[in-house]
Amino acid sequence: MKRTPLLTLTGLLVAVLALAGCGSTRAPGGGGGSGAGDTFTYAFHLNVVTEWDPAVSYSNESIAMANIYESLTRYDATTKKVLPVLATKWDKSADGKTWTFTLRDGVTFHSGRKLDSTAVKEAIERTKKLAAGAAYIWDPVASIATPSPTSVVFTLKYPVALDLVASSGYGAYIYDTTAAGSGDLAAWFKTPHDAGTGPYTVASWQAGAETELKLSAYDDYWGGWEKDQYKNVAFRVTPEITTAWQLLQRGDVSFVDRLTPQLFAQAAKTDGLATSESTSFQNLVALYNTASGPLADVRVRRAVQLLTDTDAVVSALHGAVAPADSLIPAGLLGEGPVGVKPDAAEAKKLLAEAGYGSGHPLRLRLTYAQGDKDQSIYVTLLGSALKQAGVKLDARPMQWDAQWSQAKSPNAKQRQDVFVMYWYPDYADPYSWFVNLFKSAKEPYFNLSYLDDPAVDATIDKLPMLTATSPDQAAADYRSVQQRIIVEDAAVTPLYVLNDQRAYRSDFTGYADNPAYPNVVFVHDLHVK
Amino acid sequence: MRTLLLRRVGHAALVVAGVVCLTFLLARRLPGDEAVTATGARATKEQLAAARERLGLDDALPVQLWHYLTGLLHGDLGTSLHTRQPVLDDLRRALPASLELVGAAMVLAVLVGLPLGVLGARFARRGTDLAVRTGSMLLVSVPVFWLALALQLLLATKLGWFPVAGEYDRSLDSSSPLTVFTNVTALDALVTGNWTVLGSTLHHLVLPAVVVAAYPIGVVAQMTRAALIEESQQDHVRMERALGFRPLEILLRFSLRPAIGPVLTLLALVFAYTLVNSVLVEAIFNWPGMGTYTADAIRSVDTPAIAGVTLVVALVYVVGNLAVDLAQILIDPRARQR
Repeated sequence: MKRTPLLTLTGLLVAVLALAGCGSTRAPGGGGGSGAGDTFTYAFHLNVVTEWDPAVSYSNESIAMANIYESLTRYDATTKKVLPVLATKWDKSADGKTWTFTLRDGVTFHSGRKLDSTAVKEAIERTKKLAAGAAYIWDPVASIATPSPTSVVFTLKYPVALDLVASSGYGAYIYDTTAAGSGDLAAWFKTPHDAGTGPYTVASWQAGAETELKLSAYDDYWGGWEKDQYKNVAFRVTPEITTAWQLLQRGDVSFVDRLTPQLFAQAAKTDGLATSESTSFQNLVALYNTASGPLADVRVRRAVQLLTDTDAVVSALHGAVAPADSLIPAGLLGEGPVGVKPDAAEAKKLLAEAGYGSGHPLRLRLTYAQGDKDQSIYVTLLGSALKQAGVKLDARPMQWDAQWSQAKSPNAKQRQDVFVMYWYPDYADPYSWFVNLFKSAKEPYFNLSYLDDPAVDATIDKLPMLTATSPDQAAADYRSVQQRIIVEDAAVTPLYVLNDQRAYRSDFTGYADNPAYPNVVFVHDLHVK
Repeated sequence: MRTLLLRRVGHAALVVAGVVCLTFLLARRLPGDEAVTATGARATKEQLAAARERLGLDDALPVQLWHYLTGLLHGDLGTSLHTRQPVLDDLRRALPASLELVGAAMVLAVLVGLPLGVLGARFARRGTDLAVRTGSMLLVSVPVFWLALALQLLLATKLGWFPVAGEYDRSLDSSSPLTVFTNVTALDALVTGNWTVLGSTLHHLVLPAVVVAAYPIGVVAQMTRAALIEESQQDHVRMERALGFRPLEILLRFSLRPAIGPVLTLLALVFAYTLVNSVLVEAIFNWPGMGTYTADAIRSVDTPAIAGVTLVVALVYVVGNLAVDLAQILIDPRARQR
């Protein structure tokens, strides 16, 4: 009788294992499960949803929101053209300050309400009023008029390319502001509910769960449904790359947003899998302190530029990144090579001219993102090159908020000499890099090179209007202002552009990576083979 | 007995209060700006100012601590800056999943580790004992991420015996929807008689539980063996041998009970340690527990979430140790005299 508890426990274990055996067992490479049938399963490396309100959403949830909500337009990075979505056509006045969008007929929100100009006006005005997330993109809008149910007229405070603004992946969604009835719409969204016009609607959401979010087809979607389209979408949170890779191999998931370069190469050679590689709109820049410290001397900044071998960094990262020809990534207006080639001899000459040498060694302080292996490789290579030129690099990995706080310190002595950060646009327009990073400001915010160049400011101020009225001239100005910032002011080195390396099951077609919508798969565009 | 209990509970309350205050103050002293974490890297000046006001970051530190402590008394652990959900809600979801995983691992540790320890003690300094000691040493020292990846690759991907990752097959949600009571999936499925989900959950649980159990199995086996060998030197064992009891019977009937005290104490410590240490295992097997939540909180400097997790872990330590103290009192009458 003394052994009864042990025997009971053993019996329980046997029962448990027997029950576990009841679970389905599939051979490697087999289909079925959540990655098969009419469900498209996306293995994403982070939690998916932190914000359900389309006016406020400004984070990872864009991968789901882009399938639930739609905007007036969509940007195609391959053709650099703006495509119609909820708006079928648009016109602008000669001065670029009045834009008229004609709405698509036959569109309904998931609430059942018909899309019309009033709904568009109400959605954008609510987004502007909440002033959260990327709502600032609508700042140029002075007023919105609705002369007819299918026509929306935007009057702007100053000219901008509103078709690009309307295509933003954040803050530009059109949603039904009356979906909650007389209730609080913000609270209604949190439950969660959606009020979009997109092909999918929220089926279930469990914060913190592995399969965090499920979407199901919206039957009355204006784009219609064909038999070979996915009717359900599931998002599985998969932080470990190796786990995502194994789930993909087994067919448990349909799509993986990132792999290591080695696994990506393996995926390209694996039967049943397909891969896609394209440069993103996200680049890494090294901003040099033009206002104080040793880099206030332009000769020293040029020397650091000349000692930065970006090709070596790209090579060391084995395909995870692509070379940055300029500040503007490929696929955006004004792209084109503007850069400085490495030249160690010239760098040493400049340093000597600036008074630095063995008797007066130069010491530079650099801050970069903690935990970012790609950045740490750049820092290691730069440190090595600087050391050979007699420069000591004091590199400090930091969390973003600490790194940013230090850079904004009112005490210039506490600021860094080199600030390394990623930048990306909220919509497909390079203006974001220039107005945020290089326009002078009394108190630094994102202008962390602390550049104060009136000629640069003047050009930046003209860019939105030119983009709206004369894109060719805008492209030329983007190139000239980069020449000024990168070569003459030596305020920055564009280091590399992140590559998007996706792997997915080859049993569907229609996937095309669009860097304007990072990590988004427009599932309605896919067709099962 | 009552005094003893009151003293232990009082000590436990002091420990928890100390941990709460220390965690809060340390979190506030971390370099950086909580408002940036709350609003995102691209927040405007206005959004940052609004966040500072909403989070009370402009208040003096003692005022912030007071607000935090009064909030705690009302069950408010703050709002996670990362998930934007109340921390208590997040923990309600994550803790049961971790307890399920670690609980299964501890059951395995007892079921496997205890018999292994008995076996080692029974055949001390012989081949079987050497095998037990070597095996348990391997289990204790093998890196948990390596074991997780190796088992996942071999038993899930190559052989297909187990799922690669996840808590259960979520495609069952439509055919066999699970009614949730406790958030411990296996328990909810068992209570509601949802055998399909229970089978799937246990099937998914095997690999991560085995990996998490590796260290506790090794520790329990070694500790049990050592405690039993020490007990076998006692006078009562000589008498039991003289009375003709067989060696295994002496071990199980007379030596195991007095030797189990240190093993129980160790189990409580190992339980809390394993709860914290399962971060990597949960990440590798997509297990939606505290490990994944904690890693995300640390990565995004989510101070309310970090403080909440610390509080929970401290509570687990304290409650675990209290439970062991009580168990020892029940099992071993000598403990009541201490």
